Amino acid sequence: MTSTLKGITLKGSAELVAEFFSFGINSILYQRGIYPPETFTRVTHYDLSLLLTTDPKLKSYLTNVVSQLKEWLFECTVQKLVLVITCLETNEVLERWQFDIECDKSAKESSAPREKSIKTIQHEIRSVIRQITATVTFLPLLETPCAFDLLVYTDKDLVVPDKWEESGPQTIDQPEEVRLHSFTTSIHKVNSMVAYKKTESA
Amino acid sequence: MDLEDDTTILTTLKSFNSFISRPEHPQRLSEHSAGSGILQSQYKRSMELLEAAERVHSKNRYLQLDQEKKQMELSHKRARFELERAASDSARDLEHEVDRNQELLGQIKKLEERAEEVNKKLTEQKEANDALQKNLEGLNKTLEERDDKLGTANQTIRSLKDEIRELRQKIQNQDSKMSAQTLENQELQEKIDLQQRKYQEVSQLCQSLQAAQSSCSDHIIKIKELERRLVFQEQDFAIVKTVKSEVARVPDLEKELKRLRDDNAYLRESRENCSLLKEEVEGLRKKLERMEKTKEELINMELEKEVKVVCTHLYANCSVLCLVCRKPEDLSREVIQIQQREIALKEQNYTLNSRVRSVERSQSELRAELTQQHSKTLEEQKKREAQDALVRRLQKRVLLLTKERDGMRAILESYDSELAPTEYSPQLSKRLREAEDILLKTQSHNAEMEVCLQAIIFFVSQAELELESLKKQQASALLNSVCACIFFLRQKIEDLERERQRLEEQNNILEMRLERHNLQGDYDPVKTRVLHLKMNPTAIAKQERQQEVEALRQEVTRLRDLVRSLQSGGAVGHSQDDTHNPSFSLSLAPSKEVLDLRKQMESSELRNQRLKEVFQRKIQEFRTVCYVLTGYQIDITTENQYRLTSVYAEHMDDSLLFKKGSNGSMQLMETEFSKTLGEMVALHLHHQKSIPAFLSAVTLDLFSRQTTV
Repeated sequence: MTSTLKGITLKGSAELVAEFFSFGINSILYQRGIYPPETFTRVTHYDLSLLLTTDPKLKSYLTNVVSQLKEWLFECTVQKLVLVITCLETNEVLERWQFDIECDKSAKESSAPREKSIKTIQHEIRSVIRQITATVTFLPLLETPCAFDLLVYTDKDLVVPDKWEESGPQTIDQPEEVRLHSFTTSIHKVNSMVAYKKTESA
Repeated sequence: MDLEDDTTILTTLKSFNSFISRPEHPQRLSEHSAGSGILQSQYKRSMELLEAAERVHSKNRYLQLDQEKKQMELSHKRARFELERAASDSARDLEHEVDRNQELLGQIKKLEERAEEVNKKLTEQKEANDALQKNLEGLNKTLEERDDKLGTANQTIRSLKDEIRELRQKIQNQDSKMSAQTLENQELQEKIDLQQRKYQEVSQLCQSLQAAQSSCSDHIIKIKELERRLVFQEQDFAIVKTVKSEVARVPDLEKELKRLRDDNAYLRESRENCSLLKEEVEGLRKKLERMEKTKEELINMELEKEVKVVCTHLYANCSVLCLVCRKPEDLSREVIQIQQREIALKEQNYTLNSRVRSVERSQSELRAELTQQHSKTLEEQKKREAQDALVRRLQKRVLLLTKERDGMRAILESYDSELAPTEYSPQLSKRLREAEDILLKTQSHNAEMEVCLQAIIFFVSQAELELESLKKQQASALLNSVCACIFFLRQKIEDLERERQRLEEQNNILEMRLERHNLQGDYDPVKTRVLHLKMNPTAIAKQERQQEVEALRQEVTRLRDLVRSLQSGGAVGHSQDDTHNPSFSLSLAPSKEVLDLRKQMESSELRNQRLKEVFQRKIQEFRTVCYVLTGYQIDITTENQYRLTSVYAEHMDDSLLFKKGSNGSMQLMETEFSKTLGEMVALHLHHQKSIPAFLSAVTLDLFSRQTTV
């Protein structure tokens, strides 16, 4: 556990970022109503009360993606993680949650841990997750049945693993963009933002 | 009769035996009381009685038998009489029955013949029926096969129609997709065009930037070199300034020298004074000491006096009481006091010694300072000599600098004229070598000049004056030229910097656009790749949705078929199902049975129709065969009326009408044609009573008429 050590190693940073993504994705799915609220259960993490899904298929999908993401974070080959929400009837992209990842590649060569306290990192993560919850106030309602997908932007020379395939960027036409807080573990920096389709009344 | 006789005999025997047995009992009783002689007489009597009884009995019986015989004979006679009657009756009956038998036999024969005929007909018809049934079966099989084939064909047709529908829908979907994709392609192409234009513009800008950057870098290099030269010149200027300042310092140094010399003299005087003062100090110290000693002695003496006075007073007062004890105390006190005095004196000695040492130290320090100042003066003298030498060297350097500046001017002029980067560096290296050569030469010249120092001191001042004038001129000239070059270069630099800023602004704008696109999710396909899991929730949801849609479509088609079948079934049984119509729309289970029943009905109706067709065909065939073979077409006009028309009939209306009677016999009805055949009718029907003969005669007659005609 990185909490017992004084510094952050590359592996510890990758684990922290992957853990943040796992909780963040669950919060987004709950807040946007992609899955019914009764399929979520409360857990405590980062000194916050967070919601995790109990749907076994969704759980296994998320663990697959997050474990692969952890590997890529350790190799510093991942550039972005995007959560895309599409309307099932019209196959349009309604929302796009984009997490830009900047990796300090010098941490790969030197194995010395960097000094940054876990508490400050958790404080920063807490602010990001609180902002995600607060986005409900201005994001438009998702009235039609929707499904989500997770896209990972990686380096071109990466070997594509089994069960993964290339896809398009799935961008929104004329989106409204809102930048959220970012957090850094001194090895990985994660910038968050959400883009959504403008509603026709606006 | 014999039996009756036997029975009477048996009955008589029985009665006799019973009679015998009765008297025996009393006899047996009497035998016990009486003796054997009585018994024997009784026995004899009994035996005689018995015999008599038997005779009577037999006579009676004989009579009875005779009577019975007579009766029997009478009865016999009666019976015979009756029997004879019965026999006669039976004979008559027999005769009747024989007649009947014969009649019946005849009938039976006829019937048998008929039966044979009928059997033959039956067999023929059975054979015909078998043949027909086989044909029917064959036809049924063929029909069934055709039905199966039709059914399979219908199913295939339905499936094909469904497939056609699905294919049409798919085609429509694909058309729509194609159109959407063409639109997207167009849009993407437009975007690609726009981006290609942008890329070209950006590439042009980049190229211009690169050219500007290369030119900027060249200019920067040139500027740096110029700056280096400027720095060198500035260093030289600084050196000149330092030399100037040092030269300016020389009078100050001289003044300081003078001051130092005065200080030296002053210090020597002070030293002498110090020594004198020291001697005075020593004398004074000694005096002090003596004075202090004397003072202390005085004080001590006074104290002792007082003490002694006190003691003497005390002694005088208390001499009687304690003489012995105070003396040692006084002595001790005196001793202590003396000791204290000694200590005080020692302390004074120590302090005086320390003062002496400090003074000696100060003396030594002053001596050291004197020596230092002596050395300083010597050093200053040396410095002055060195400065004199430096001045001479500077003069020589100035000469060299003038020469170097001339060379630099030439270089700058050549730089201004040429400005070719490829030729620049070798020129620079050449010039560097030239400068180095010049430096070496000057150094050698310096060494020569240093040898001739003493001879040129006289010209220092003049040279300095000349130097100053020359410097001013050269500095002004150099400065003008260098300033002009610098001004020109600075203008160029400003222009390049403006261009660079402009290009940087454009770069910033492009980078902003790129960042915006990156924010929106665009990426550089050369460097990045977008990945996602194949089995992701969106794909799974789309698949499920498609499956739902297909299932719904299938349900819709099934329901439409149900509705159509219900509507068709409802039209058939509309009168019966009026009350049940609403229930059909609601409940599906009974409709299935109804559908099954309707299907069965339809199938049975189809079968009936097919059988009807087959029967009709068969009947038609049979009729044609009959027509062909017999030569007559037999039509049923009304009930039990048959019209026969011949093949060889001369007119269409020539026909014979036969009517079936109630007893089954066929009778010819009168028609116009039959009137013409009166002879044949009379011959064949009335006389021969054979309709086939008549018919055949008619055909022959008609045939003969036809052939002859």
